[in-house]
Amino acid sequence: MNAQPFRLPSGGLVDRTQTLSFRFDGKTYDGHPGDTLASALLANGVRLLGRSFKYHRPRGVLSVGSEEPNALVELRTGARREPNTRATIIELFEGLEATSQNRWPSLGCDFLSVDRLAGSALVAGFYYKTFMWPAAFWEKLYEPVIRRAAGLGRAARFADPDHYEKAFAFCDVLVIGAGPAGLSAALTAGRSGARVILCDEDFRLGGRLLAERREIDGRPAADWVAATLAELAALSEVRTMLRTSVFGLYDHGIFGAVERVNDHVAVPPAHQPRQRGWRIYTKRAILASGALERPIVFPGNDRPGVMLAGAVRAYVNRFGVLPGREIVVFTTGDNGWATVCDLVAAGVRLSAIVDSRSEIDPTFKALAERAGARVFAGGAVEATQGGHHVRGVVVRDSSGKHTTLSCDLLAVSNGWNPTLHLTSHQNGRPIWNEDVQAFVPGTLPPGLAVGGSAAGRFTLAQALEDGARLGREAAVEIGFRPTHIEPIPTTDAETNRVKPIWRVRGGRGKAFVDFQNDVTEKDVELAAREGFRSVEHLKRYTTLGMATDQGKTSNIAGLAIMAEQTGRAISDTGTTVFRPPFTPVAIGALAGHHRGKDFRPVRLAPTHDWSREQGAVFVETGQWLRAQYYPKPGEQDWLTTVTREVLAVRTGVGLCDVSTLGKIDIQGRDTAEFLERVYINGWKALPVGKARYGLMLREDGFVMDDGTTSRLRENHFLMTTTTANAGKVMQHLEFCHQVLWPKLDVRMVSVSEQWAQAAIAGPKSREVLRDILDAVHDISNEAFPYLAAREVTVNGGIPARLFRISFSGELAYELAVPADYGEAMMRALMAAGSPHGITPYGTEALGVMRLEKGHVAGNELNGQTTARDLGLGKMMSSKKDFIGRLMARREALLQSDRPTLVGLRPINNAERLRAGAHFISMGRTANTDNDEGYMTSVAYSPSLGHWIGLGLLKNGPRRVGERIRAVDPVRNSEIHVEICSPIFVDREGTRLHG
Amino acid sequence: MAEQATSSWCRRDAWAAIIQVGQIGAAGEPGVKVQLPANLQLATLIATTGSTGLERITKQLVGLDLPRSASIALSATHGLAWSGPGQWMLLARQRAGFSELTSLLSDEAAVSDQGDARAALCVSGRRAREVLAKGAMIDLHGKAFPVGATALTSFAHVGVQLWRIKDGPDGPAFEILVSRSMAASFWSWFAASAAEFGCNVARPG
Repeated sequence: MNAQPFRLPSGGLVDRTQTLSFRFDGKTYDGHPGDTLASALLANGVRLLGRSFKYHRPRGVLSVGSEEPNALVELRTGARREPNTRATIIELFEGLEATSQNRWPSLGCDFLSVDRLAGSALVAGFYYKTFMWPAAFWEKLYEPVIRRAAGLGRAARFADPDHYEKAFAFCDVLVIGAGPAGLSAALTAGRSGARVILCDEDFRLGGRLLAERREIDGRPAADWVAATLAELAALSEVRTMLRTSVFGLYDHGIFGAVERVNDHVAVPPAHQPRQRGWRIYTKRAILASGALERPIVFPGNDRPGVMLAGAVRAYVNRFGVLPGREIVVFTTGDNGWATVCDLVAAGVRLSAIVDSRSEIDPTFKALAERAGARVFAGGAVEATQGGHHVRGVVVRDSSGKHTTLSCDLLAVSNGWNPTLHLTSHQNGRPIWNEDVQAFVPGTLPPGLAVGGSAAGRFTLAQALEDGARLGREAAVEIGFRPTHIEPIPTTDAETNRVKPIWRVRGGRGKAFVDFQNDVTEKDVELAAREGFRSVEHLKRYTTLGMATDQGKTSNIAGLAIMAEQTGRAISDTGTTVFRPPFTPVAIGALAGHHRGKDFRPVRLAPTHDWSREQGAVFVETGQWLRAQYYPKPGEQDWLTTVTREVLAVRTGVGLCDVSTLGKIDIQGRDTAEFLERVYINGWKALPVGKARYGLMLREDGFVMDDGTTSRLRENHFLMTTTTANAGKVMQHLEFCHQVLWPKLDVRMVSVSEQWAQAAIAGPKSREVLRDILDAVHDISNEAFPYLAAREVTVNGGIPARLFRISFSGELAYELAVPADYGEAMMRALMAAGSPHGITPYGTEALGVMRLEKGHVAGNELNGQTTARDLGLGKMMSSKKDFIGRLMARREALLQSDRPTLVGLRPINNAERLRAGAHFISMGRTANTDNDEGYMTSVAYSPSLGHWIGLGLLKNGPRRVGERIRAVDPVRNSEIHVEICSPIFVDREGTRLHG
Repeated sequence: MAEQATSSWCRRDAWAAIIQVGQIGAAGEPGVKVQLPANLQLATLIATTGSTGLERITKQLVGLDLPRSASIALSATHGLAWSGPGQWMLLARQRAGFSELTSLLSDEAAVSDQGDARAALCVSGRRAREVLAKGAMIDLHGKAFPVGATALTSFAHVGVQLWRIKDGPDGPAFEILVSRSMAASFWSWFAASAAEFGCNVARPG
C-alpha cells in the first residue's frame, strides 16, 4: 500500500526528505516534519479520529487550528498521557503515540453509540429531567452509566513527570498573532525602536499566509513573510515567541500566555520544561488573532469528511495533503470559491460547487468550468451519506430538486468570525456588524487595539494596512518616533462577500450546531420552547459553547437559530461573552515550579541541619519547619519521646531551637514611648539589660500577639514575637509608626534571620552556659537574675545575646548568636551539656511545659480572646493609652460570664483529655444552649503523671474546684474534669528564680 | 581552653549544604554563572527623620553618596543600597573593619547587622536575564534596570533585594540578597530555572 496516499507530490511546508513514524490507535503511520497529527493522518487517509461526547457519533477533522471541536485525542501514554488534545495543533514528532478517545471497544465499532438507540433521551437538559426518578437510582446507576457513556478523554493516572515553569516578560507593544496583520504591526512598531513581543500559537509564523496562495507586492506571500521575519530577527528589541498562546487579558495591560516549549517532542530534553506559563506586562497590545471559519448547520454535517473550506486550503497549500479526491464545496460566500481556485491549482477535480446564493459571479463560473464541476446556485446540501466518512451528499437545487452526488470530502464555508475573545476578557461586549455578518469587537480595554480579520476586516490588504497603522500608532502613543514610513505592500485581488445561512431546513437527521457538545438545531429549538431564550440560558441549558473549544465554531449558529426562533435579529439576541482562558491551559503551566515540596517556600532555621542530624521530626509552623521532637531508637511513639524530653528539662537540662521566633530591632529616642502605645503593659520603667513579657492587642481590643522585649540600650530594644505572627506584628508596627505616629523617632527592622537562638532550660542550664560564655560574663543568679538581657560574647569574642527568660518555668536562658554560628552554638552546648545529660527538645515538649505553667500560646491567642479572657487583665495599664484599650472595654467583653482561662484535670487520672471538648455543667444536656466553653489545649504532664488542659470557661476562675463535663461530640467521648488553676507546676516560681 | 573552643566555632553560611560548587544543568559553556560572595558584610541603616548626618558620615567613611531613590552606590570595597524611605543596606566586601564602621555610623542611624540574615549570590552570564525572568516580576531590561538600580521584590515567592552591578564580559550581572531561611527554596527554584542554560557555581575565597 502506498504510504501517505493522500500526500501531494510536492508543495507545502512539510519536509518530504524526512519521515517521522507515529502511531494512532496502535497502527503505525508516516508523516513529515511540518505536519500536525491531523495533517499526517489525513495524508494517510485516516478520516475517523474520535467519537462524539454524547451520541458517540464518528467524528473527523473539521478545522486546521485550535478551534477544533472534533479531532480530540489522547496524546502520549503512561504518566504523560494527555486527554482532549487537538490533533489539528499537535506538531508531529518521531514516535508520537495517540489514541482516539470516548469509544469502546474500538473507534470503528463503538457499543456506546446511542445514535439510534437512546438518542431521543439525550436532548438538551436531559440530565435535569430524564433521570429524576427514582432518586436513589441517580448515584448508583444513572450517573455512572452516563459518565461512562458521555465525556472526553482519560486523565493520566500518574503524576506528571515533567517540569513546568513560570516566567515574566515586559514590553512596549505586545502583538498577538503573527499573520499578515500581526507581522506588519510588529514590524512597524519594532522599526520605531519599541520593545515588541510577537506571539503566535502556531509552530510557524505567518498565520493564514501559510495556508493561502496569495501574492504580496507581486510575489508569493511566503517571500514577504520570510523577509519580514528576517527583519524582525534583526531588530534586537523584538522578540518572537512561537507555540505561545496568549490566553487571557487581565487588568493593567497584563496578559497570560502559555508557551508549549516541548510539546512537540516525545520527552522534553534534559533540563528543559515541558511548558512555560508567561505573564506579559505591556504598555500597548495589538490583537491580530485573525478569524475562525464558520461551518454550516445541515443534517449529517458532523460526518468525517465534512471540513471547513479554509481548512481544506490549509491542508492542500501548507501541508501538501489532499483531504479528499472527490470533492464537493458548499458555500454561502466567496471564500468557498477560494478553495475551488486552490484545488484547481493543485490539479484536483471537483464534483460540484453548491453556493446558497442565487447569483454567481461570472469569474467563479469560469473557475467551475475549469474545475469540471457542476454548480448549484441557490442550492444547499441537505444530507450526507456514508458510515465513518462521507461517501456522498444530497444536494437540493434552487428548484427544490434533489441530486445525490458521490464524494469523499465536503468543504463548507459560511463566512468567518473574528477571533475577538481577548477583547471580551474585561467585559467588552462584541457588536453584531451587519456588513460583515459577524460579531466584531465592541468597547476595547485601555491599551488594546484590534486589526485585520480580528476586527472584521477580512481581506489581506486590510490586514496589512491595519497592522502597519496600529503598530505605528502604538509606538507613537508611548513615545517612539518611527524613522520612516514604508509603503503598505500591495496584494492580489480578492473578494469576501458572504450571505451566511444559519441552518439548512428541510432535511432529515441530526444537524449539529455544536459538535463538541453534541448540540443540535433541535436542542436550540427546545431551549427556546422551554423558555431558555437568553443566550446565557441557552448556553447553560444546552451546553452549547462549553468544553475545550468554548463554542468557537458553534456559538453564532446557536444564537442565530435562537434569534430566528424568538423572532429577533441577531443584534438583539446578543452573544455570550468570553472569559479566559482562550485555549485550555495545563494547571502545570500556571503552577510552574511550585508543586509538591516547592508549592511554597519553606523556611529553615540556621540550626535545621543540626536538628535533622539529631533525628528531629519536623512540624510546619507557618512557613517554618520546626523540630517537633527528637525520637531516640527504641521509642515507640511520640508521647514516650516527649515525656523523656520534658523530664530531662525538669530534672537536668534541655536544649531547644527558638531561632524561628520573630525578632524586631527597634531603635530611636521614642522607642519606649512607642512600646507603651503598642503593648498593654508599661515599658518606660524597664531598665537597660532587662526583658519583659508584653502583650499587644489589635485595635478591636482582642489579643494579637505576645512575646518578650528586651532593652539592650537606652534607645535600643529587641522585640520578639511568636513564630507564626512575626510578619503580621512587623506590619502592624510599621502601620502604627508610619500612619498613626509618624512623628515618633522609632526605627525598626526585622532581624529574625540574623540570629540563631537556643533555649537552654532546666536546673543545670547555668552550668552549661558557664562553659560556653566568655569568662568575663558573670551569670550567677545575683549578677544575671530572672529577666536579665544582655549582650555577651562567646568563644573568645563572638558577639551574642543572652536572655534569662523561661517558657518552661525552669531556670532557663535563651542564647542568640549570629546565624552563621547557629550550628556551632548547638554543638558547643551539646558538648558542654553532655556531663549533665543535655537533651534536645522540640515544640511538643515546649508545649507540654508551657501548659504545665499555664502560659497561653497559639491555641489561646486565637484572635477571639481578650487579655481579660486569658487571665491577663491585670497587665492592662490604667496609666496610659495603648492600642485596643477602649475597644477591650466594650460591655460584652467585660461580662463576667465570658469564657475565661482555667486549668482542667481529669477526675480519673487515667483518662485522657481532648482539645476541643466542650464544657457542660453536671446534669445538663450536652447541647449548644448549655455550652459553657471549650478545652483549648491539652497535654500529658510527665511531672504530674496525668493529662492536663487549659480551657476557656464561663465564670472560669470563680469555679475552681467545681467538677464539670468535657464533652467531645467529634470523637464521641465524655469525661469529667475538675476546674483548677492554670498553673500546674511550681506555682510559686521558685525554680524560675533559682 | 579558649583556643580549643575557637577552632570548634566555625561559621557556616546560609548556602552550606544547599549549593554545591560546579556545573549544574546542561553541559558545555554555561549560560549562567553564579558566584557566592565570601565575607559579604551587611547592615541595615535607618536614618533619623530629617537628619542629614548620615549622608555626611557615610560620604566621609566610605566615600559614597547615599542614594535617594532605588539605586545603589558602589565602590570596590563598599556599597550603599537604598532599601526603603530613609533606609539603606550598607555592604562591605570584607569582614575586617566592619563592626568599627557600623559603630561609627550608629550615632547617625539605627544600625542592625544583617550579614547573617541574608544569603547572597551574584548572577551573571549570557542568559542571566532569562533565568531571572522566571522569577522576577519586575523588568530587568537594560533601559528599565540600568547598572546601579536596585529593587526589593520577590523571586518565586521568596523576598529578595537585588541590584545590578557593572556588566561582566558576557552580559549583565546582578547581586541578589535572599532571606537566609528561604535560601533552600530559592535555590530549588533557581537551579531548576537555570538548568536549561547550564549554570556554573563558584565560591571564591
